[in-house]
Amino acid sequence: MKIIGITACPTGIAHTYMAQECLEKECKKRGYDVKIETQGGLGIENELTEDDVNSADVVILAVSVSIEGEERFDDKPVVRTDVDEAISHTAALVDRAVALVKGK
Amino acid sequence: MKSFLKDIQKYLLTGVSYMMPVVVVGGVILAISLLGADQTAKGLVPTNPIMVYLNLLGKAGMALMIPVFSAYIAYSAAGKPGLAPGFVLGYIANNTVSINGVDCKSGFLGALVLGLMTGYMVKWMKTWKVGKALRSIMPILVIPVVTVFVVGMIYYFVIATPVSFLMTALTNYMTSLNSTSVIGLAIFMGIFAEIDFGGPVTKAVSMFTLALISEGVMGPNGIFRILVAVAPIGIFLSTLIAKDKYTPEERNNATAVGIMGCLGITEGAIPFAIKDPKAVYPACIIGNIVGALIGALGNVTCPVPHGGFIVLPVVGNKLWFVVAILTGAMVTAILLKIFKKKLPAEETEEKKENIVSATEAQ
Repeated sequence: MKIIGITACPTGIAHTYMAQECLEKECKKRGYDVKIETQGGLGIENELTEDDVNSADVVILAVSVSIEGEERFDDKPVVRTDVDEAISHTAALVDRAVALVKGK
Repeated sequence: MKSFLKDIQKYLLTGVSYMMPVVVVGGVILAISLLGADQTAKGLVPTNPIMVYLNLLGKAGMALMIPVFSAYIAYSAAGKPGLAPGFVLGYIANNTVSINGVDCKSGFLGALVLGLMTGYMVKWMKTWKVGKALRSIMPILVIPVVTVFVVGMIYYFVIATPVSFLMTALTNYMTSLNSTSVIGLAIFMGIFAEIDFGGPVTKAVSMFTLALISEGVMGPNGIFRILVAVAPIGIFLSTLIAKDKYTPEERNNATAVGIMGCLGITEGAIPFAIKDPKAVYPACIIGNIVGALIGALGNVTCPVPHGGFIVLPVVGNKLWFVVAILTGAMVTAILLKIFKKKLPAEETEEKKENIVSATEAQ
């Protein structure tokens, strides 16, 4: 299982990175491959490459603002939510992403 | 309907996130330019050339905040073609125009409405099925010109008067608050301003105080910027006075949370609030009310949309700002000591064996 995602919050200094950390922690705990791009105050960091996107099973977009490059995931299963859910209900969110893959 | 509102929230938050640094630039430089300025009948006037130039730079930042806000609301809704009409229409919202002999300036509120209208208009125009020849000139000619024309006319003939009336009424009300209503405002802000520690409710309050900054009313923002620091610093202090109620990991994290609080970032408090909401929410809210009241009675003002001790140099009534933060934080800390349940002794001590077995289990 490989999960990729993007996190972005309005101010781009705290929530963005907390959500990234929560998602990475939860996925690693389950033994999944994971890469989370952040679109915070400094712009795009830890950018998802084309390879990342191609090899990913599912995309989690935990964003409370408009993000750049959403069209990259046009033919991928995508879970959309806001940044808060990735922080407070990380496990449930990852469950949803996994269910989306398995349900296909 | 729910997803429609959710979209609007997202658009507005995007606008705020792009506007924020512009206001910080304008607010900080403007505040510096007014240090040691002469008090005249026309307000504060900077004395030497450097200060005069700084004053111009600061005013430029403040003047741009409104157009940037509406432009990026439109950008969020409609992508790149939303930017140009968003900037132009935001600019008109921020300039006074005489309509039927009445001066109208809808400012922040107008820019919000115009940004959304522009965004939806452009988004809709993007769905038009047009011929090949026309398609290439849609984004550079048709969309910007038609959008500015249509939304601009609607603005002047319909929206400008009521919205600027509302905005003026709000500004006047906020400038003429008597002491009882100041206390009411402080209590209200104490409860709601940081109820989700930097989340959507906080940002809504922040938009309200930003709107008032753009009209030159800095008091509510002063109160708000105190509250930003109260909860995280309070939690940090409580880990010092109530060691038996936190795990070692939490005590470690709390130092970082305290530093974040001083730098004006409330979000550090979230993990603590999630873990023990019954203790943390009431303690933080009461601490915030205390901080807000002290700030309001001390007439604290702040010209920038950021808080904590890091903005101290540009804050008005600095002493009260510091007193408000520290008192609020101490109240929060003491209440946390009372509200939080004691942890079993083994959880509050370093537990080496457990850590080892936890790693093995993975």
